[in-house]
Amino acid sequence: MLPLLFAVLSAGDGDLLVRLQNRDPQALAELYDRYGRMVYSLIVRMVEDRAIAEDLVQETFLRVWNRVAGFDSEQGAVGPWLMAVARNRAIDYVRYRGRRPERGFEFTETENPALFADPRDHRAQIDTLNQLRSALGKLNQQQREAIELAYFEGMSQTEIAERMRQPLGTVKTWMRRALQQMREHLEGGVPA
Amino acid sequence: MTCDELRPDYLPFALGVLDDPERSELRAHLARQCDQCLAGVREANRLAFAMAGSVPALDPPRRLRGRVLAAAGIVPEPRWHWRTAWQAALATALAAFAVVLFQTNQTEVEMAALRQQVERSGIEASRLREAVSLLQSPDMREVHFGDGKPVPPRGRVFYDSSRVLLIASNLPAPPAGKTYEMWIIPKGGKPAPAGLFSSNTQGGALHMFRLPSGAVSGTDTVAVTLEAAAGADQPTTQPLIVVPL
Repeated sequence: MLPLLFAVLSAGDGDLLVRLQNRDPQALAELYDRYGRMVYSLIVRMVEDRAIAEDLVQETFLRVWNRVAGFDSEQGAVGPWLMAVARNRAIDYVRYRGRRPERGFEFTETENPALFADPRDHRAQIDTLNQLRSALGKLNQQQREAIELAYFEGMSQTEIAERMRQPLGTVKTWMRRALQQMREHLEGGVPA
Repeated sequence: MTCDELRPDYLPFALGVLDDPERSELRAHLARQCDQCLAGVREANRLAFAMAGSVPALDPPRRLRGRVLAAAGIVPEPRWHWRTAWQAALATALAAFAVVLFQTNQTEVEMAALRQQVERSGIEASRLREAVSLLQSPDMREVHFGDGKPVPPRGRVFYDSSRVLLIASNLPAPPAGKTYEMWIIPKGGKPAPAGLFSSNTQGGALHMFRLPSGAVSGTDTVAVTLEAAAGADQPTTQPLIVVPL
């Protein structure tokens, strides 16, 4: 789906954000047209049920529509925030379905759009994605599995350790090294 | 902890996997607008965004766009073609069937709520199909609420092993910026969000929520509260509707 991401980023979000904040109904339609496929694909991957995914997509866009006023439109991209909200909704569902205990913490960071601002130009964002694609391919199997359990199933590092039957410290080390590797790629080889 | 000590934690934090005490430390830095940590977490969130791009692309069903817009109170401009016409006709037929099915004991307001949904059939077709499917289910069970109370809302909850349908009437108009949120409360557990919905001008509402197969059997109560328009993760007001299943 990375080509789709590139296309999304190429379009830019600045004007769209302003119109969303002005409660322009057409802007919400455009937001869906731009990101709906990404949001739906991510949620289906996480909940593995297309009917449920439809409900969660609806909740995702409604939450963003109602909270977009808090976003700094000068700084940019609504996409990362929108996808974080989508992931959060899907994780809540996955944990509920699995009768797993509630997260020891709520992923309330999605309630703070400022953490998802991106003042860089679209070319820089696309470069980041290219670097990431390369970095993801270089992770070893254990690193990749740990990150996927975190990202797609919302597992804490403790839960990942239990699932992978490894000491917690080992999982933390895998993840930090994996994420450091990815960051080094994103920073052009400068160690984190 | 210093910012440099927290730096390896930015990405686990963005992925939502960072445990305490590091998480609390980092949140404290963010709360006091620490420039280094804010920049680091923003960068990490961009990485998480890119992770979303690693999943196979799927096309959402065409009806979903209309559902999303309708949930925000936006009615898209009609784009008539054979598929839309077919969907509208099907939705109308299904909704009419639902009305007939329950006409012997459906209150006027409940029927008005259903008719309101029919008028928006092009948008709500999938939800109505699901509602009718539930009503036809041999496993469907029904609970009344609000009967005999001086200040309703009143209505019914229909459910089977994986779906809950709320049909309510006499709902007070929500204040500006507020909406209704349904909750599924498991036995001995905390309320779980079960979707936002609005009422029509007559105070009627129809809300459908799906759960994993079998999950409803572990549900003790369905409740409805008034929440901020964006919804809440836990109820913040006293429930207007409480329905033990």
